[in-house]
Amino acid sequence: MAASRPVPTPPDGPPMPTFAAPADWRAIDLISDLHLAENTPSGFDAWASHLRHTSADAVFVLGDLFDAWVGDDMAESGFEARCAEVLSAASKRITLAFMPGNRDFMVGDTMLASTGVARLADPTLVTAFGQRVVLAHGDGLCIGDVAYQRYRRFVHWPSAQRVFNALPLAVRRRIGTALRGHSGRREPRMEGRFIDVDADAALALLRNARAPTLVHGHTHAPRSHVLSPDATRLVLSDWELDGSSVPRAEVMRWTAAGFERIAPQTKSTFAPACAS
Amino acid sequence: MKQVDLETSHGTIRVELDDVKAPETVKNFLTNVENGHFDNTVFHRVIKGFMVQGGGFEPGMTQKPTGSTIQNEANNGLKNDRYTLAMARTSAPHSATAQFFINAADNEFLNFKSETPQGWGYAVFGRVISGQDIVDKVEQVRTGNKGGHADVPLDDVTITRATVVS
Repeated sequence: MAASRPVPTPPDGPPMPTFAAPADWRAIDLISDLHLAENTPSGFDAWASHLRHTSADAVFVLGDLFDAWVGDDMAESGFEARCAEVLSAASKRITLAFMPGNRDFMVGDTMLASTGVARLADPTLVTAFGQRVVLAHGDGLCIGDVAYQRYRRFVHWPSAQRVFNALPLAVRRRIGTALRGHSGRREPRMEGRFIDVDADAALALLRNARAPTLVHGHTHAPRSHVLSPDATRLVLSDWELDGSSVPRAEVMRWTAAGFERIAPQTKSTFAPACAS
Repeated sequence: MKQVDLETSHGTIRVELDDVKAPETVKNFLTNVENGHFDNTVFHRVIKGFMVQGGGFEPGMTQKPTGSTIQNEANNGLKNDRYTLAMARTSAPHSATAQFFINAADNEFLNFKSETPQGWGYAVFGRVISGQDIVDKVEQVRTGNKGGHADVPLDDVTITRATVVS
């Protein structure tokens, strides 16, 4: 659908945060919206397996890796500690980078540093394989959802986060659960309330970055959208392997050939030439 | 080193200018300060966690006319670290005129890499020596699309006056 308003002109000035992939990289995997939690064992297994076996040079998470994150001290025990182990092992083998989503925006530098995961700004322009692609979680582009944008501005406010972080972990967990409005299970997408990424906002972002492609998650509605003759929006799939709905889990593999949706890898694709 | 005060709607930001490492950029900046170019301009492009940019537009997003472009001095060894002051420009390496920005993070990817269109980077010519908390406040303001531009503060952040301190 064509934009109805003029798209903002590209600015003079420095472009958005940019990550330049090393020249020898051949593939980057993009994932988002796994919503991992204690009650998603199948999701955890598929994710751990993919990180162990992927042949890509890097895996970038575009937000909502965790269903909830209320402080880096979560990683000291339990399910979150097992997740941290998976990340630490994988980051020794490949490059891992993390962009916060709307559920796990409280993942902090302590967690990332201790697991060897780099931080990605939201949005980030990535240059790789001779291509320019903007990566975002997506919630910042759903500007039609006014109530959500107000909430987002508040929870991203450093003072609000400082106050929250001062509370004991048990209290923060309870607040997190209450904010999600249910017992802790992932909620299904609510029909009729779905507000998609704003086309003008996406186009403006791409013009800013002088890039033709935006890849994001958040909406759990995987598709390709043509925004204009030189602008495309690719939406990542969420992962749902533990609920009663149709199972899904997908990795967007980015190479010199472009983008391809693949299944999470379960074993190494490079078999040894001889068994020994 | 010369110092300049940027009196803004959110408080005063004092910058120190490195005329040894960026002589032409500092000379150009001081000319703009002295002829009142920055008076009644806004920080028109604010991106949290990245940078705050201003010195080019009046409130209402009317662009102010500028002088001629200056040589990019990004190859001076100064880094786009948090709270440094750098020149904004188009994608053409030597297109800076008046607009500047203050880095809100250590923006390593903006540093000079090579004398190529992609590698020139953004010229750092000073740093904020007081009022870093004011920069932090500006960085947090609500932004949106305005007058054909993105990331514009919804409530104006105005530079009322820029003056040379010493």
